[in-house]
Amino acid sequence: MAEILIFNASPRAPRSNSRLYAEIFTKVCRIKTEYFNITKTNHIELCGKVNGFSDLLFVFPLYADGIPATLLNFLKSLETNPPGEKPVISVLVNCGFLEPSQNDTAVEMIRLFCRQNGYRFGSALEIGGGEALPATPFMRLTARKIKKLAECITAGKHRILHTTMPLPKRLFVKASVSYWVNYGKKSGISEEEMRTLRIEGK
Amino acid sequence: MKLILSDRPLKLSAAEADGVKYFDLSELKIAGCTGCFGCWTKTPGRCVIRDDAVNVYPAIAESSCVLYISRIKYGGYDTVMKTLLERAIPIQTAFIRLLDGETHHYQRAVAPKKAHVIAYGDNICADEKAVFSRLVARNAKNMNFESYRIIFTEESGIESAAEEVLKKWRKY
Repeated sequence: MAEILIFNASPRAPRSNSRLYAEIFTKVCRIKTEYFNITKTNHIELCGKVNGFSDLLFVFPLYADGIPATLLNFLKSLETNPPGEKPVISVLVNCGFLEPSQNDTAVEMIRLFCRQNGYRFGSALEIGGGEALPATPFMRLTARKIKKLAECITAGKHRILHTTMPLPKRLFVKASVSYWVNYGKKSGISEEEMRTLRIEGK
Repeated sequence: MKLILSDRPLKLSAAEADGVKYFDLSELKIAGCTGCFGCWTKTPGRCVIRDDAVNVYPAIAESSCVLYISRIKYGGYDTVMKTLLERAIPIQTAFIRLLDGETHHYQRAVAPKKAHVIAYGDNICADEKAVFSRLVARNAKNMNFESYRIIFTEESGIESAAEEVLKKWRKY
């Protein structure tokens, strides 16, 4: 049965950009999808759900240049609790930097998991542009690429896709300052305080 | 400062380890990062989770020589080391700079590092080594490594590889 299972591996899954991207994917995808957040305690339950799905899509943020520990730990569970029939695995990964290519290593890790565990790797969408992206007009471009990802997966014509804010790097740097300064203001923290060089007060 | 972070207990001769700060991460209580951005926007430079990680990331920041020892999994660090590295983001700020033409976070008071990484496991294949090498190259940009070297080994070779690194450190 051609259905797509979506697992959100963001450590803050219920209020993450990854969730937003997964919601768009669900809206634009022509075949049925089911969505779950990966938590510390639901690995076995989620491994049990994989059976019967043609495709599995992991949606997650880049963490310390690779897949987040949330996803690493789930993959280890999936390795020891494999489904009877293995779905094609695709990924939708987003990072805080402008360059979507900074996600390449995370995609390579999932490819490696697939090779080591007998899964076929499908498509990937690498999103750059950072935390602020969903609140910008550029989100329309992202939504278009998410639709393209859904088309690639449903058609079985797999590709590696990239998208980001179409901004010069220096302008992106400036825009990100405004975003983070406003973020800090909500907690009463000034830009100067946010830029402190002190770590643990020292 | 010189620092060893290991995801397993390490037996090193006292002479070699003299003057080196060492954390056996497997003995520490370190929860996963929750992605709250508190260390950037609410309590800059301090993680809101007050567990053992708050003793480790200041040591990372201070050190000019680091040795990270981790089991390799899917071409990356296994859970113990990965969890700690994710919790080390208080040593960066939210703000973005250009470094070698790419966007990266500003570091707080973080010393440039000569880094050695010992990645261990059984029969590590060429594919896995290649992915791990690309990962550490990315880490170099985001974790302020001025130079780095990766050593792949079986678990039984960790101590001798670590002692070789410590010998090199005597020069610094």
